[in-house]
Amino acid sequence: MEIVDARVALAPAISLLCGALVFAAADHTFWRRFWSLSAALAKLGIVMSMLPGSLRGVVYTFDLVEFTPGVGLAFRADSLGMFFSVVSSTLWLFTTVYAIGYMEREPNRRRFFGFFALCVSTTVGVAFAENLLTMFLFYETLTICTYPLVIHDETPEAMRAGRTYLAYTLTGGAFVLLGSIWTYQLAGTMTLSQPGILPLEAGRTTLTLLFVCLIAGFGVKAAIMPLHGWLPTAMVAPTPVSALLHAVAVVKVGAFGVLRTIYNVFGVGLLRELGVCDWLAALAATTIIAASVIAIFQDNFKRRLAFSTVSQLSYIVLGAALLSPLAATAAIVHIANQAFAKITMFFVAGSIQRTTGKTTIHELAGIGYRMPYTMGAFTVAALSFIGIPLFAGFVTKWYLSLGALESDRWIYALVMLGSALLNAAYWLPIIYTAFFKAPREEVPVQEAHWTMLGPTLACAAYVLLLGMTVSVPGMPFAMAQAAVTFVFGM
Amino acid sequence: MISWPPLLVLFVLTPLVGAVLTPAVSDATGRRSWEWAIGTMLLTSAMAGALIMRVLDEGPFSYVVGGWVAPYGIELHFDEFSASVAVVCLLGLLAVVFSRHYAPAALAPERIPYYYTLLLLNITGMIGFIVTGDLFNLYVFMEILSLSAYALVAISGEKTAEMAAFKYLVMGAVSSLSILFGVGLLYALTGSLNMADVTMRLAGSAKAPLVVAFAALTLGLMVKSALFPLHIWLPDAHAIAPSPVSAILSGLVVKVGILGMLRMYQIAYGSGAIDLSGLNLMLTWLGAISIVMGAFFAVFQDDIKMMLAYSTISNIGYIVMGLGLASSYSLIGATVHVFNHALIKATLFLGAGALIHQTGQRTLSGLAGVGRSMPFTTAAISIGAISIVGIPPTAGFLCKWYIALGALQAGQPLFAVALVFGALLIFVYYIRMVNAFYFRKPQDAGASAVHEAPATMLVPVLVLATLCLVMGVLGSLPLSFIEPAVARLLAPLGGG
Repeated sequence: MEIVDARVALAPAISLLCGALVFAAADHTFWRRFWSLSAALAKLGIVMSMLPGSLRGVVYTFDLVEFTPGVGLAFRADSLGMFFSVVSSTLWLFTTVYAIGYMEREPNRRRFFGFFALCVSTTVGVAFAENLLTMFLFYETLTICTYPLVIHDETPEAMRAGRTYLAYTLTGGAFVLLGSIWTYQLAGTMTLSQPGILPLEAGRTTLTLLFVCLIAGFGVKAAIMPLHGWLPTAMVAPTPVSALLHAVAVVKVGAFGVLRTIYNVFGVGLLRELGVCDWLAALAATTIIAASVIAIFQDNFKRRLAFSTVSQLSYIVLGAALLSPLAATAAIVHIANQAFAKITMFFVAGSIQRTTGKTTIHELAGIGYRMPYTMGAFTVAALSFIGIPLFAGFVTKWYLSLGALESDRWIYALVMLGSALLNAAYWLPIIYTAFFKAPREEVPVQEAHWTMLGPTLACAAYVLLLGMTVSVPGMPFAMAQAAVTFVFGM
Repeated sequence: MISWPPLLVLFVLTPLVGAVLTPAVSDATGRRSWEWAIGTMLLTSAMAGALIMRVLDEGPFSYVVGGWVAPYGIELHFDEFSASVAVVCLLGLLAVVFSRHYAPAALAPERIPYYYTLLLLNITGMIGFIVTGDLFNLYVFMEILSLSAYALVAISGEKTAEMAAFKYLVMGAVSSLSILFGVGLLYALTGSLNMADVTMRLAGSAKAPLVVAFAALTLGLMVKSALFPLHIWLPDAHAIAPSPVSAILSGLVVKVGILGMLRMYQIAYGSGAIDLSGLNLMLTWLGAISIVMGAFFAVFQDDIKMMLAYSTISNIGYIVMGLGLASSYSLIGATVHVFNHALIKATLFLGAGALIHQTGQRTLSGLAGVGRSMPFTTAAISIGAISIVGIPPTAGFLCKWYIALGALQAGQPLFAVALVFGALLIFVYYIRMVNAFYFRKPQDAGASAVHEAPATMLVPVLVLATLCLVMGVLGSLPLSFIEPAVARLLAPLGGG
C-alpha cells in the first residue's frame, strides 16, 4: 500500500534546515548545540514515526518536483530505504553528541557542524530517493558536503587528502550520472520502486557495460578494490568525521547504491541471466581478504580501522552479488551491523587520541587500565567483527555463509571463515596490548568526557542488541527480511 | 495592441533610436545616459512581452516591411525560436542596471555615453538578428552586433583591451566576410534573400556551389560562436571587457553563431537540397573537443574572468554537439541551453564584476576568503557555478540531460561519456573557485575589509541567480516553446 506523505521529504529537509540554522547561529555555541541536537532528535522522531507503518507494509511516497515528465525529484520510503534511514538517523544522534564533546576546542566549529548536518540530510535523501536522478543528486551533494569536513584541519596533508577524496568520488559520481541517463534511455524510467526495470532486449553487451558503469560509480564510495584509495587517505579528518564517513554516510551510501543497482535497477532475474554478478562477487571476496591482510600491517590506529572498513564493506557487496535471498538478508543487515561496530571503534580511537594523544597501536600498552570502559566498548566491537555469536557480526557471517551455500558457491563460505581469522589477527593484538601489556608507569583511571564516553557505550550496547534480537519483530533484521521479500518477489 | 503588425518593426527600431540619441541626452557625469538607456530597455522589454504573448496565441507570424513581398522586400519573422528575445531584453536591461556604478569606475567619464550607445546598438543587432526573415538583413544585424562588440571590448582604452579587441576584430572580420560570401552564393543560386523563399527555391539547384555556400556559412558562424579550433579570440576579449559587457558577449553575442546555424539548418532541412550529415559529424566532434579543451584550459587559470571565458567555450561545445547529433532530444537540449547558458553565464560574469569592483582583485588568490565579506554575491556565483555544471535542480541540468539522452538516442554513447566527463572537469574548476571564496584565508587585511556590492549590482546578480534556480524547477516551460519548433525543424527528415 502506498501513501503520499510529506514526512518522507521532511526527513532530509529537517537536517537541511538545521544546517542553515547552524550557519545562522554564527559563533553562539549554545544555539549551535541546540539546533544540532534538536534536529537530530526531530529527524529520528520523524523516521521512527514512519517505522510502524513501514513494518506493516506501507510505503510512503512524496513527489517533490518534476522537471519534465518522468524526470524529477521524488522520495519513497520502502523497507530498504527505511532500514538505511533508521540506521543513519540513530547514528547521527550519537555522533552529534560525540562531536560536540570532541570538537570542544577546535576552530571553525560553525562550518563543521553546519556541513555535518547537511551530510546527514543527504544521506537520508539517498535512502529515500525514489529514482536514480534523486539518488545521484544526493550522492553528489554528499561528496560536496563532506569535503569541508575532510579538510577541516586545513593542513597541507588534509588539503591533499581532500583533493584525492574529490578526485575519486566525483569521478564515481560522473559514472553514476552516465548510468542514470543510460538507464532512462533504455528503460524509459529511472524509478527505484520496482524489482528491476531494465529489459533484457536492450542487449547483453549494453547491459553489462551499464552494470559496470553503475557499480563503478557506486563502488568508489563503497570502496571496492581497486577503487578504495581515497578512504585511508581521508583518515586525516577529525575523528567524528571519520566515524561519519566510514560508518554512516559516505561508504554506506555507496553500498546502498550497489544494492539499489542490483535489486531495483537490474533486478535479480535479469542479473542471473547476465551472469555479471559472479565477477562482482569475486571482486568483493578479493577485497575482503586483501584489505584484511593490509590492515594487519598498519600501526596507525585509524588506518587499521580504515582498511577494516574496506574489507567489511565488501561483505555487503558480496552478499548482494550472490543473488540469493539469505545472502541478501546478510547484505542489508550488515549495513547496520558494520555501522554500529565501526562507529564504536572510531569513537574509541577518538577518545584515546583526545585523552592521551596516542594515535598508534604500539603506544596503547596498558590503555585498558586507564580507560576501562572505552576499551571495553572496543572489545565488544572487535568481537562482533570477528563474528562471535551473540554479537551483531555473527548474524551477517552466518547468513552470508548460508547464502553462499544456497547458491552453490561454497568458496565464499570459506572466504567468510578466512575473514573471521584475519579479523581476529588484527583486532585481538590491540585488545592484548591494551589489557595484558603492563603500562610503563602507574596511571589513574582517566576516561574521556561523558559526551564522548556515552555515545561510545551506547553504540557498543547496540552491537550486542543487534546480535541478540534477531528474531524480535520490529528490529532491523525484520525490516531487512521485508526488503528481501520484495526484491526477490517472494 | 498585441497583434498590431508594425510593433515588430518598432521593436527593432526602439533600441536603435535609443542608442543613437544617448550621447545627445547625456550630461557630464553620465547619469542621464544611464537613465535613458534604462528607459529604452524597459520599453523594448515591454514590446518583447507583447510579441511573445502573440506568438503564444497565434503561432509564428511575419511582417512585410512596406508591403513589398519576397523576393524584393524585407520581411521580419517571429517564431518560437524568436521568443529568445525575452532573454536578450532581460540580460540587456540587467547589464545596463549593473553599469550604474560599474561604468564610472571602469571608464573615463566622457566615454560613458558612448558605452551605453554601444550597449544598446549591440542589443539592437541581437534583436534584429533574431527576428529578421531576410538573409542579407541577417548579415547586417550581425555586423551591427559584431562592430559594437569590438568597440565594447576596447572601450576602457587600455593597451591590453585594445589588443584583445584587435584580435577579435581580425577574426570577426574574416568570419563576417565568409558569411557574406555564403549569403551571396545563396542569392546567386536562388535569386532571393528571403529565408522562407530561399528554402523553397533551393530544391534542385546545383550541388557544388551549394556545398561551398554552406561551408562558408558554417566557417563564419564557427568563428562567431568560438568553436574549437577557432576560439582563440574569445578568452582575451571576454576576460578583458568590462564585466557587464562580458556578460552580454558570453551570454548572447557568441550565441549569434549558434542561432545562425539554426537558421542554416532550417534552410537546409526545409529544402532538402543538401545532406548535412558530414557537417553534423564534424560539429559533433568539434563540440566534444571544445567541451574538453575549454574545461582543461579553465582548470589552470587563476584569473576568475579568464576561467569564465574558457567555460563559455565548453558550453558552446555542448550546444554545438547537441546540434551536430541532430536527434530531437539533443536539438531540444542544445536550443534550451542557448538561453539557459545566457542566464547562467550572465550571473557569473556580473557576479565576478561585482567582486572585482568591490575588491579590486581578479585572481582566485586575491579573492580568497571573499565569501565572508560579500556573502550575497558569492552565494549567487555559487548558484551559477552549480547551474553551469548541470546539477539538478538548476537551469543547466535539463539541457545537459537532453543532450546526453540525444547522444544515446543517436546511437553515439561515446559523446554522452564526453559530456558527462566534460561536466566533471568543469565541476573541478568551479570547485576551485568556490573553494577560494569560502575556504581559503584572505591574503591581506584589505580583502576582508570590503563591503557587499551596491544595490544596482547586487540586485541584477541576485535576480539572475534566482532565475538559474527557477528555470531549473520550471524546466518544462522553455521546452513548451522549443519542442514544436524542433519538431517542425526535423519534420522534413521524417521525425529525426
